[in-house]
Amino acid sequence: MIEVCGLTKRYGEVLAVDDLTFAVRPGEVTGFLGPNGAGKSTTLRMVLGLDTASSGTATVGGRPYVAHPAPLKAVGALLDPGAVLPSRTAYHHVLALAAGNGIPRSRVNEVLAEVGLEKVSRRRTGTFSLGMRQRLGIAAALLGDPPVLIFDEPLNGLDPEGIVWIRSLMRKMAAEGRVVLMSSHLMTEMERTADHLIVVGRGKLIADMTMRDFIAAHSQREVLVRTPQADALRSLLALAVDVRVENDDTLIVTGLEAAEIGALAAAGGMELHELSPRQVSLEKAFMQLTRDAVEYQADKETDR
Amino acid sequence: MSHTTTRLPAQSAKARRRSLALRPRRGPGRAPGGKATLWHCLHAEWIKLRTMRSTLYVLLGTLAFCIGLAALNGSSAGSEFADLSPADQATFDPLATSMQGYLLAQIALGLLGGLVITSEYGVRTIVSTLTSVPHRARVLASKAVVLVGLALPVGIVMSLAGFLVGQGVLSGAGAPHLALSDGVALRGIVGGGVYLALAGLFGLALGTVIRSTTATVTTLFGVMLIVQAFAPALPGRVGDWVLKYWPPIAGGQVVTSYQDPALLSPGAGLGIMAGCVAALLAVAFAVFRKRDA
Repeated sequence: MIEVCGLTKRYGEVLAVDDLTFAVRPGEVTGFLGPNGAGKSTTLRMVLGLDTASSGTATVGGRPYVAHPAPLKAVGALLDPGAVLPSRTAYHHVLALAAGNGIPRSRVNEVLAEVGLEKVSRRRTGTFSLGMRQRLGIAAALLGDPPVLIFDEPLNGLDPEGIVWIRSLMRKMAAEGRVVLMSSHLMTEMERTADHLIVVGRGKLIADMTMRDFIAAHSQREVLVRTPQADALRSLLALAVDVRVENDDTLIVTGLEAAEIGALAAAGGMELHELSPRQVSLEKAFMQLTRDAVEYQADKETDR
Repeated sequence: MSHTTTRLPAQSAKARRRSLALRPRRGPGRAPGGKATLWHCLHAEWIKLRTMRSTLYVLLGTLAFCIGLAALNGSSAGSEFADLSPADQATFDPLATSMQGYLLAQIALGLLGGLVITSEYGVRTIVSTLTSVPHRARVLASKAVVLVGLALPVGIVMSLAGFLVGQGVLSGAGAPHLALSDGVALRGIVGGGVYLALAGLFGLALGTVIRSTTATVTTLFGVMLIVQAFAPALPGRVGDWVLKYWPPIAGGQVVTSYQDPALLSPGAGLGIMAGCVAALLAVAFAVFRKRDA
């Protein structure tokens, strides 16, 4: 489990991370979301002991990262896939990391094979594509077979096959009972991969809930209605709820369930050709939420 | 034999699946046995040092330079010796003549020492290094130990090669020269190696504080060559003081066989250099432990 409690990072006047408290549980993929500059990377760096917190604590498996006797066996992290010495081979890059934690040489070959780099493991990493470096970074994260995995933007630079691969890898790791924390800007991928969401904005926690609850809470359900009597239905519904005209015979209704709309139309003797609740995406919910957050911030500032 | 090797991949795949299957039974966060030690970190840093491409190039290039300069210096000094005034002949220094290469070698080893850490900041591998070993004093100490482990023997080889070539050329020209059996020869060769290892540590300490390869190299040139070149131009007492106590100049006394009465003895000079490197390393440790990676 990753536990962050009152975590704060201050750079001079600027609060990069502001009193953040959350826990990441095992057995599910947790998505770490937030606009650029929200403090995601700084938070992860403090969890990994790379940056010192101004105040608050971050623990992994009950103790600070730096207190683990062999950290790679406790936490595997992918932070920056570009961070490889171009003249060093993939094998030696991972071998040095393994050596630092007393992980045997055989395991190095094993993880390189697991991420599909065994054929190029003796090549200098300078010749690697971004996708290959991403895989190399994941190999390093898997090295100690750790119960906690942290991936910062693991999908950057991956081709569609690579994206599917990493999605199934993370689902598998979570199914094995590991803690999996992943940040990404790709909302559709996040929606397919994560079970739980932690959302930050301007260094503060905005949401910590399941994917389903998050989408439900931050979006209004819409129902698409197709009817030849669009005008009549619209004037009937518009008294109570929000109705948008999509085109001549199509309306988008917000604030009523499909069944309620159907009942009202039947009572009014109107003919319906289609009545379907629209799937709301994480992307939409996220945009809605961050828009709210920005407005909230603006309101607070004018209040002062 | 070939039978067993063909079966290996299958076995390791099975072992992997088994290890993954067992994982959930372990309580979260309870790392399996096997504490990472200083020894592991030393091993990791050694792998990094020997797989850094610049290591080999820097060392081979410097060795060639030391030998070449010893030959050139020896032949010119040897042919000019007969024309020197008796006073200059009395202060002729065959050891220093063959060891002039150390002037550049100290920069090269300082650069190597600097690269051990600045290359990590340059490409941000410092992140994976410190997530692998978050114990920062251990990381820096390991870097220092493997650096000395390489720089000291290589430095001795450089000094020895310069000495042998330089003395050979001097003897061929009929000028005064030293044999390996002379006490001063051993002090010059081993001391020269120690000095170069100290130069490496100096670079490591500088690189840790500065974090940029370019700025580290520039500083090395300034401290080790520019000051030396301009010290004689400094006004009276200041110039004398710098010539006597400036650490790289004082340390350089270890590769001289003529004791200038105005300068420190080889032992004292090397001690000043070592003390200065130790102080700078202490600063480097403090900074490295405190600063965000």
